[in-house]
Amino acid sequence: MAMLSFEKKYRVRGGTLLGGDLFDFWIGPFYVGFFGVATIFFASLGTALCVWGAAVGEGLAGQTWNLWQINIAPPPIEYGLGLAPMLEGGLWQAITVCAIGAFVSWALRQAEIARKLGMGYHIPVAYGVAILAYVTLVVVRPVLLGAWGHGFPYGIISHLDWVSNVGYQYLHFHYNPAHMIAVSFFFTTTFALGLHGSLILSVTNPPKGEPVKTSEHENTYFRDTIGYSIGAIGIHRLGLFLALNAGIWSAICIVISGPFWTRGWPEWWSWWLNLPFWS
Amino acid sequence: MRHVMRPAAFLAGGLLLFLSACELPPVDAVDLGFRGVGMQQVDNPRTLQDSMDAVAARVPQLAPTPDDFGEPAPPGTWENVQVLGHLSEAEFNRFMLAMTTWVAQETGQGCNYCHVIEDDGSVNFASDDIYTKVVSRRMIEMNQSLNVNFAADHIREGGINCWTCHQGQVLPNNYWFYSDGTRRDFDRYFVNEGTRQIERYYLDQRAVRVISPEALSGNTDNTSSIQDTEHLYWIMIQMSEGLGVNCTFCHTSARFSDWEQSPPSRVHALRGVNMVRYLNDEYMVPLQDAWPEERLGPMGDGPKIQCATCHNGAWIPQYGNPATRGETWPALTQIGTVHPSAPSETPAEGTPDQP
Repeated sequence: MAMLSFEKKYRVRGGTLLGGDLFDFWIGPFYVGFFGVATIFFASLGTALCVWGAAVGEGLAGQTWNLWQINIAPPPIEYGLGLAPMLEGGLWQAITVCAIGAFVSWALRQAEIARKLGMGYHIPVAYGVAILAYVTLVVVRPVLLGAWGHGFPYGIISHLDWVSNVGYQYLHFHYNPAHMIAVSFFFTTTFALGLHGSLILSVTNPPKGEPVKTSEHENTYFRDTIGYSIGAIGIHRLGLFLALNAGIWSAICIVISGPFWTRGWPEWWSWWLNLPFWS
Repeated sequence: MRHVMRPAAFLAGGLLLFLSACELPPVDAVDLGFRGVGMQQVDNPRTLQDSMDAVAARVPQLAPTPDDFGEPAPPGTWENVQVLGHLSEAEFNRFMLAMTTWVAQETGQGCNYCHVIEDDGSVNFASDDIYTKVVSRRMIEMNQSLNVNFAADHIREGGINCWTCHQGQVLPNNYWFYSDGTRRDFDRYFVNEGTRQIERYYLDQRAVRVISPEALSGNTDNTSSIQDTEHLYWIMIQMSEGLGVNCTFCHTSARFSDWEQSPPSRVHALRGVNMVRYLNDEYMVPLQDAWPEERLGPMGDGPKIQCATCHNGAWIPQYGNPATRGETWPALTQIGTVHPSAPSETPAEGTPDQP
């Protein structure tokens, strides 16, 4: 397989976090590394456990190969933070361990690649925020609530049911202040990506006979339309900021629901009515 | 580092402020459905304890319950006692005194809130010449019926007494009237909009089904309007607030209308709604002519019952506090009888009309 021009710089030994030279090689275009092997191990084991769970039908839907209905559910709340029998949520616990193992290994593999390239850790850190959101859902919040049973089930329909039911546990989740912030960041992220993506597609696809446009055109376009251009690097910093905040505030909005507030979210806002100087 | 410290301090301060409006773990939780489906009831035991302590601090400490309630008073002990004839004299007096606290406490009038004072200053206990006595009698009958006829259906073990709803006030907190359209207190004034009378939910046995049985079916049988849906939402929120519970206490949110997927508490709630309809039809609406002007709502109707009237924001009224139960009050735990006159007397003529 042909090597891309920058790959020569990438394909250097060293920079590993663990294991020295162990697995410090490439298979085709793919860097392996200790954490690559760990990722494959955890991902394969976790997937196999999911398939096994579907085969024995331990979830609500019973045995099914309908992809929508396959459901690996967490333990009943009565098991608290202990280990559950395999077919009563123990499987969910094992798969959760595999998922976290695979996600974290992948982040560390990204870190090793970043070290080989001599660049910053932006990518593993950004991906780490996604891991943080997942870990918040299946570890931090269940631990704060005192039972693994508060994790979400692994299944396409079942996890949507979980989201819906947990939302209605707090009457109206849109009144969750952190949810408001998270939703705003998600929308702003897509908005910024829409602006940026359309701009790049425009400047790189000029009419026949015209040259590809440069950043002067880009800046001028946005100065004309919205009065300000954040610039080529700036938009990527802004995009990272918006996207990471969407994930972080999502994690915050779910971790406060239950551990830090058990009533309806609309009621939380009574602090406003209770403020003394205008009540 | 300075430029990092200041925003960090702001952030930490903001977080503290944010959390000061919240509760803190640990919490109590139980599954209401299959594991992992998100059907859980999460309560903060300390918040709950505060609410229960507030109830305990309010409930009156009345005369202790006697070991023996005694035999029914001999005929002729009282005049015009129509629903408490099964009581002994001591128990009758204990119950009458209790009512002055349960219902008339805020008036400070004691017996005289329901018993007529004659011109010479004496109290005519037998007279029905005051609306509060007529209403009280009907309310005693209602309470007896609740504890006897609804014990299996909706009323929990131990039953209820007057305090459960009245809390020392002549009007419970959460009765309702029809609105004249100018009232914006939606918890108390129900709008009456001609033929679309879903707000009559608590009166007419009218169901509030607005959801079509299947998605995008092209089913034209369902003629529910946006207003119907809004009214349903309104009634559901009244129940939610009135009972201090969330939507998943009675429903799975994937299919609110499906009874097969709903927790058993929804059946209990439906029985409660049927009970409220019965109480309004049987006891509250028939009292219409008894009410004086000042007890009527803007549309001229008397006060009526909804879930919150008894529940007052708790899923068990008064959190089941023993002092709010009916079980130690024989006046309320059986259907009362008419107290017979003394054998020598002929029955009094012109017995006052009963509501």
